Amino acid sequence: METSKKAKWLTEKRRTALSAYLFISPFFILFAIFGLFPMIFSFYLSFFRWDGLNPMTFNGFKNFEFIFNDPVFYSSIKNTFIIGIMGTLPQIIIAILIAFALNSTLIRFRNTFRTMIFLPYITSIVAVAIIFGVVFNNQPFGFANYILSFFDVGPIRWDAEYWPVKIAIATMVFWRWVGYNTIIFLAGMQSIPKELYEAAKMDGATLSQQIRLITLPMLKPITMFVVFTATIGSFQLFTEPLIFLGRNLREEGITMVAYLWRDAFVYNSFGTASAAAIVLFLIIITLTAINLWITNRIGRSKKIS
Amino acid sequence: MKKFLRLTATTVLALSVLAACGGNENTNGDGGDTDNAGDDTTSETIGDGDIELVFWEFGNTGYDKLIEEYVEENPNVTINLQNSDMNDLHDNLFTSISAGTGAPDITMIEEAQIERYRNAEHAFTNLYDLGAEEVSENYLDWVWQNGENADGDFLFGLPTDIGPTVMFYRTDVFEEAGFDSSPEAVSDLVATWDDFENVAKEIQEKTGKQMVDGAELVYNARRDQATEQYFNTDDELIVEEHNQISDAYNYVASLLDQDLIGNIPLWTPEWFAGMDEGSYATMLAPAWMQGVIKDNSPEEGVWSLTTMPEGAGNWGGSYLTVPAESEHPEEAYKFIEWLTAPEQQLKAFLDYGLFPSAPAVYEMPEFLEYEDSYFGGAPVAQIFSEAAEAVVPVYKGRNYYPVDGEVKEAIDNVAAGSDPQEEWEAALVRMERILDRQ
Repeated sequence: METSKKAKWLTEKRRTALSAYLFISPFFILFAIFGLFPMIFSFYLSFFRWDGLNPMTFNGFKNFEFIFNDPVFYSSIKNTFIIGIMGTLPQIIIAILIAFALNSTLIRFRNTFRTMIFLPYITSIVAVAIIFGVVFNNQPFGFANYILSFFDVGPIRWDAEYWPVKIAIATMVFWRWVGYNTIIFLAGMQSIPKELYEAAKMDGATLSQQIRLITLPMLKPITMFVVFTATIGSFQLFTEPLIFLGRNLREEGITMVAYLWRDAFVYNSFGTASAAAIVLFLIIITLTAINLWITNRIGRSKKIS
Repeated sequence: MKKFLRLTATTVLALSVLAACGGNENTNGDGGDTDNAGDDTTSETIGDGDIELVFWEFGNTGYDKLIEEYVEENPNVTINLQNSDMNDLHDNLFTSISAGTGAPDITMIEEAQIERYRNAEHAFTNLYDLGAEEVSENYLDWVWQNGENADGDFLFGLPTDIGPTVMFYRTDVFEEAGFDSSPEAVSDLVATWDDFENVAKEIQEKTGKQMVDGAELVYNARRDQATEQYFNTDDELIVEEHNQISDAYNYVASLLDQDLIGNIPLWTPEWFAGMDEGSYATMLAPAWMQGVIKDNSPEEGVWSLTTMPEGAGNWGGSYLTVPAESEHPEEAYKFIEWLTAPEQQLKAFLDYGLFPSAPAVYEMPEFLEYEDSYFGGAPVAQIFSEAAEAVVPVYKGRNYYPVDGEVKEAIDNVAAGSDPQEEWEAALVRMERILDRQ
């Protein structure tokens, strides 16, 4: 009786479902351990005072109170936005142009160029920061300062002054990600039917008209993807400022993730670090929601027209 | 076909770049490599006893050879020596301690990093409980005190090596300025910090060269001679209650203002290059800097060294600790007591240049005979050991390094032309903010 009941329970349908769950379970188990748990623990931690070594003590909203009274926290938010815009906006425009060039039949050695443009993305980020550390060197003989000296601009302290720090970090971001986005745009462009361009050419459309009226509209979903990932990426900006500025992370160039990292691992103040992480989380959620809302609206208007 | 070839060529190119970025994996377990910033850990098990001790170390210590000697005499233990990058080791240790599991039986902790664990006595074995009191006489007082807690009743670790600071100087620059460049003469010439400033002015006048290229080094030198620094033993910020730190800061600011010292950041390519150019006269740096100088300025007899004005400081060195998790604290202690004993410290000095923390070594003939033609026959061992004995003990505290970083930021801004007083006050505000977090 028992066995037949069991056999009945494990019907063919259930069996398929069970094996399906088993097959997808590795992701969920790993995600729960390395993704979900740390996230929830971070929420919990933001209400405690903890130096990482001694027992935690509950201190309510004090961590939030502290970071909201810390001028450096606001600087870090501002820096993240400024560097994010400076690093991604020009990057997307240039990436589209490069992708267009690489997609056109006029250029020789296209495959070589395609690989070369992608190379920065796979370069070790530490190496990138070191090289850029030489380029954006404070000394008069630093590469950027040397070039600027021809225009009578005095040596700039690239790692300490308000705008130079941001320009230097944004340049690093630009250099590293432009190739990645180019390849994505290129893939998008290759899915655009050639007939559209041929028809346009027969109608006498210029190159800029082709870009403006065919390529860009057809690339809309790709552009959305790139803008999404670039936005999230710029909110997570961390390694570049850390390696460029050192562990002390000056106020002029600190980003949000760098701020919370410094709180946790330099100051051993895990409570305020978690509180900052939660504020960052809320900012990213809000921006993603706005992004989604805009995308939806664009999608809808397209259908109507 | 042509297209295929091109594709292959580019793929190979891409792969080789990838491989070059992946870090070197061919560490053959021979003690590790300090230049390697990768995350490789080499592991080596020595001996075949029943008690296995896991030992974390960093850098190039040569302890594997000493361990072989030890396990021969103590066949009951096996030592599993794991060498990793210095920062990785300390990060891993911090994580293990806060998680409460995963710490080794013995771990090396760098002198600066040990400050982070000042309030984590529960995570370590008190070596006083294992009889460390008996060997305390073997070590320099200040080194020993650094390994203790503020009250002096808890011992975190036994000292291995230290980094007493001296004044390296360029004989060619001193001669160009018309000075006698022998170590004794320079030591007499630059006996105080006022002398240092006057000599700097004279060198500036006669040669146009600066006294030091990195302002940070001058600040560190003066700071390390202070009997009280940033914190008292209750971890309260006391920089405004005594003048020693602000004096050091103002001294550096004044030298910067007169353009007597430069502000090249340490460990940058231009800083290394400067060692060979002779564009400045002195470098205030610890014993282990001699290797860095030799690597960057290979010509013999150009650099020499002597004692620093008004005493010495310490920069670097390590302690061997026994985390509380260890299941064999007695065996672990017995081993580290042996490893840090003067005889072993002498070997570590002769083979790997680790400067001993045990003054008994300074009397040993092999140590005294140690001379270096590179420094033009200066009595190197004697100068370093004098420096080691001149260091004053000082309490640093767990927030020492973040707070110190804020002074460095202020100095950096002063070097760029900001007002020293304003920068000092801004640094104080930043220090307060670090402390408010806790």
